[in-house]
This record gives sequence, structure tokens and C-alpha cells, in this order.
Amino acid sequence: MELATKEQVLEYAKKRRMVCAAIKRIIVDQLCLDIEPEFITNDQPLFGRGLELDSIDALELAVGIFSEFSVTVSDGNSAVFSSVNTIADYIMSQDYDDSNLQPVD
Amino acid sequence: MKMEAQMISNLLPHRYPFLLLDQVIKLDPGKSAVGIKNVTINEPYFTGHFPGEPIVPGVLLVESLAQLTAVMYSTGHFPETIDWEHLESEEIDFRGVASKVGYLVNIKNIKFKQLVRPGDTLELRVYKKTQFENLSQIKVEAYVDGKNVVDGIISVSERP
Repeated sequence: MELATKEQVLEYAKKRRMVCAAIKRIIVDQLCLDIEPEFITNDQPLFGRGLELDSIDALELAVGIFSEFSVTVSDGNSAVFSSVNTIADYIMSQDYDDSNLQPVD
Repeated sequence: MKMEAQMISNLLPHRYPFLLLDQVIKLDPGKSAVGIKNVTINEPYFTGHFPGEPIVPGVLLVESLAQLTAVMYSTGHFPETIDWEHLESEEIDFRGVASKVGYLVNIKNIKFKQLVRPGDTLELRVYKKTQFENLSQIKVEAYVDGKNVVDGIISVSERP
């Protein structure tokens, strides 16, 4: 997307922080993890080392992301789940539903 | 449309004593299905579950729902032109269909709301929610006399 003014850049950055926070909450809620969402960092690998998620968890995340953002992650696109950042990039590249986003400070 | 046990055993690899689905009475291939499992006092597990108090084990209710799910998604691969009323006369590679049936990989938030006993007719309902690669998440429900006895979500895998 084209970012023209400083205000637009700040608005985009704010929205991205909200999307990232929502993704972390989905990861913790959907996978019943016993950690605080803030414990997950944006670049931390979710699969393998890192959070050690597996393909069963990927399905759960796909379900959670769809119900929160109305965004479908299609087959063959599993690289989307690499980290919170890659998920946020993907969601924001789609026509996503932002009505459930909570403000972050 | 009604699919009887003989046809179900063409589509599933399961056999006695673990074919836990008697009929499929409604089918939207690849999307949803309604099936029937009749429970009789003759089921072998009642000997031990429990002596003097025969109750269907909850895990077997989940298995019945998983088997209906397998019928639902394996028929999703049938050609659209198929004649559902005369399946047995269609030229279908049943062995190929049965070999695609995968495994149960996740059981989530399953509630067993009421005891299921000999003589009960279970109406099983499954709806596919989401698919990602070879895994699908399925909403499952079972009813006895219109009362909800099982409710929850399972995930199943499909073999390539």
C-alpha cells in the first residue's frame, strides 16, 4: 500500500500493533497455551523451535484467524504461520475485518 | 438418499467390531452428513462398561462421529454426476476411496451431556468448518430422541 502522510504511517503502525496483539491472543486462546499473549514476540518462530506448534495447531490458527478477521489462509500457504509478523503481513494484505480489534497502548 | 451398512463398509477401512456407523441418511458430500448408530445390549463392551450399568463409552461416540466424518469427506471426491440412489451400480474405485481415510488428530471441547444406553438410536451430525492442507475441523453433534447428547469439535486428517 502507498503511505503518503506521516499521519497515515502512524495510523498504519497503530493498526498493525492491534492486529499483532489480536493474533497473539488467538494463538493463546485457540491453542489453550498456558502463557500470557505478550510473552510471544513478533519475530519468534511459531513452529519447530520457538513455540513448537505443529500442523494440528496450524489448523486451529486458520480457524481462529478466519473467525476474527474473515481472512482465509489457503493450502500451500503455510509459510504465513512462520511468526506473528508474517501472519500480520498476510492479514493486512487481504481485505480483512477490523471490527473486532481492541485498542493497544 | 440412504446409505446402508454394506455401502458404508465400502467407503471405510473399519471392520467388525469397530465399524460404528449403521446408516447415512443425509449427505452433502465434503460438507455435512447425518448418520444413524443403533446401540444394542449385545455390544461387547457392555460386559465391562459397566457390569450392571451398561453405558456407551464416550470415546466410542466420538469414534462413530469420526467415521461419519470419513464418509462425508471421502464422498466429496466422487464425481458430481454420480447417481446416489444406485451407488452400488456406479463404477467407483471403493478401495481407493477407503485408502484416503486418515486419522482422528484432535478432539476439542467435547461435551457428553447425557448417558447413552442400550436401545438408544443415535442421530449423528457432522459439518465441516474449516480445512487447512490435509486437516479439517469438524463440528460434531449426536442426538437421542431429539436430545443433544454429544457436542463438540474434532479434527481429522486425510491421506494424499
